[in-house]
Amino acid sequence: MAFIKLNDLEIEVEDGTNVVEAARDHDIEVPHYCYHPGLSRPANCRMCLVEPYGPIPGAPPGTIGPARQLATGCTLTVRSAPPERKLEEKFDAIIRTDSQRVIKAREDILEFLLVHHPLDCPVCDQAGECDLQDFSYRHGHDKSRYLEVKNVPPKKDLGPDVLLYSTRCIVCTRCIRFCDEVSGSGELGLINRGSHDEIDIPRSHEGIPIQLLDNKLAGNVVDICPVGALISKDFLFKSRPWFMEKANSVCSGCSVGCNVTVEYKADGVYRIKPRFHEDINQHWMCDDGRLGYHYVNSDDRLQLPLKRVEEELVTTQWADALTLISDGISQVEAADIVVIGSAQGTNEDNYVLQQFAHDVLNTTQLGLFGQLQGEEHKFPQFTIEADKNPNTAGARTILGSANGNVVLEGDTLWEKVASAKVVYLVSGCPERPLQDAEKDALEKVDFLIVQDVLPSEVTQLADVVLPGTTFAEKDGTFTNSTGWVQRIRKTIDPPGEAQVDWEITQQLAKRLGGEIDYHFAGEIAIAISENVEGYGDATHKNIGDAGIKLA
Amino acid sequence: MSDEIIQIETPFQFNEENKREFDELIGRYPVKEAAMLPTLHLAQRQAGFISPAVMKYVAELLELSVMKVKDVVTFYPMFFEEPVGKYVIRICHTLPCALRDCKVVLEHLKEKLGTDVASETNLAKGTTDDGKFTLMKVECLASCDVAPVIMVNDDLYKNLTPEKVDELLENL
Repeated sequence: MAFIKLNDLEIEVEDGTNVVEAARDHDIEVPHYCYHPGLSRPANCRMCLVEPYGPIPGAPPGTIGPARQLATGCTLTVRSAPPERKLEEKFDAIIRTDSQRVIKAREDILEFLLVHHPLDCPVCDQAGECDLQDFSYRHGHDKSRYLEVKNVPPKKDLGPDVLLYSTRCIVCTRCIRFCDEVSGSGELGLINRGSHDEIDIPRSHEGIPIQLLDNKLAGNVVDICPVGALISKDFLFKSRPWFMEKANSVCSGCSVGCNVTVEYKADGVYRIKPRFHEDINQHWMCDDGRLGYHYVNSDDRLQLPLKRVEEELVTTQWADALTLISDGISQVEAADIVVIGSAQGTNEDNYVLQQFAHDVLNTTQLGLFGQLQGEEHKFPQFTIEADKNPNTAGARTILGSANGNVVLEGDTLWEKVASAKVVYLVSGCPERPLQDAEKDALEKVDFLIVQDVLPSEVTQLADVVLPGTTFAEKDGTFTNSTGWVQRIRKTIDPPGEAQVDWEITQQLAKRLGGEIDYHFAGEIAIAISENVEGYGDATHKNIGDAGIKLA
Repeated sequence: MSDEIIQIETPFQFNEENKREFDELIGRYPVKEAAMLPTLHLAQRQAGFISPAVMKYVAELLELSVMKVKDVVTFYPMFFEEPVGKYVIRICHTLPCALRDCKVVLEHLKEKLGTDVASETNLAKGTTDDGKFTLMKVECLASCDVAPVIMVNDDLYKNLTPEKVDELLENL
């Protein structure tokens, strides 16, 4: 540990911490653009200048003063010094971020950065979450002295989801370093020279792209852009950032379980951005997850229960659907019923489901359903997993372990389904094609109950369809492939009369005389922590925003 | 924009002689990326200018992304991204040459060749219709003592007057 004096604070920091981070931890703002904790540090924006103190050359020993030159806070790291090099006999470093010299330097750097900036905040997507705007307001000059003509480089299309407004760019090169270091694809670079520098993808002289910014992590460059230069086409002109509410959640796109912030308004989810988690996704997420939320807002969402009348699925009331189901279930033996949980569902959904199967239906035969395997994508600093379900590990454990249930997957499950009379299938997968074996098995079922979010091949075969909810409409926990249990949070209300999946199961249980009676997801998590091996600490309170790792 | 990317119809490749030279020069550098400039010069000498096909080939040779090559090509004005004349005439227009009437030489060249001066992004503007000459202004050619000077491809010509220019062009 290093003991440093930062402005008037005397603080201890880890060896090797840079000044920007040390200051951030103590609520001192050191403005910066090119520095990003997840990338290398070229120190090219010069915004984070700070004033280190040290011995003055030629002065009597022991006198210290400000260094001749200011240093960049992002590359200035502090570490414990040997006793003879301590300053004022106790400090490993003395740094000021608030001296007149620093304040002047910041103002001047900002004036330079704004030389070619169009100041088009009123029409810029980034306004409200823009570092250039914020730092100009807090640290900049109130006016510009620049009278010459500004550079107006063209707006450019870089790839499927990314637009570049070159005029707004301050050439911090975060996006270039991201493509070199994290995605390893190197599509971005600087063209031209000096004040004509522009970010671009490789193009022919006529401007036709040689390579597009189309890697699966490309969306991250929009997040890390400190100004409004890189813009997501998906979010362009959709909403001002301050109009959206935010909730910390977990991406449901694959079993990595990237920490995300879901940004939403009453009428739907608007954007998903990654949230830092040191052991899971660092600062990043993939575009599949980032852009994969659209099904939540879809007009096709199931909003009312459906029942089959003369080969057609028609809408009905909840009471009617539940009566139909309880009639159907009570006519058959326990051995003829198969309950299938979903790897898209939360641990809470699956816990209630297995309790329903075990306590009410007296069956120990459960299945696990989910998205089909995708492709694994490996990048130098990121992996997108092949398992496209957020909660395979959790669903498998929860469905199985508490009551000694057997969890069937793959071929054994579909063999079992083919011989069953009643199947209660919880899906929740958007766009899930059925494979031949699955389709054949499900067609043989006399009475198929499907709980899903969107009409799909599965709901086409159902006798009763119950409208469930997506990750954005419920509270709960997901367990990722590396054993992290993490919280998802309710953002928007479910469409129409769709209900949270465990609540549907609980209502069914009550119809059939069961005694399942939970009131909110946290209560189920407590039951899980008491009854499921390994989940002892996994209550919502303990999990919080950081998640907990299973032992 | 469409998501169209350029289709390279005729891939570029070093000829035997340049391949040998490349193999020799790559050994001089600790990392392959460091050989970028000599490799690009070699490629430009063979192809005439750095087309997307050349950029792709150089990137593959040096195990870099295409953008890294494009980055360097656009940085240096000595690399051309579009076809230039057989003879590239670079005329110095910095102070010592200006004092020694480089303007007269330039005007004479423009008149004689019947072309304008090329800009960095528009070389066609300074190229003659027969594709023989490209005329461009450059900053100092490091020969102020013998101003005004021009450089034709790799050769320097000193103490120029319109008459000397005529003679020079005759001999090309």
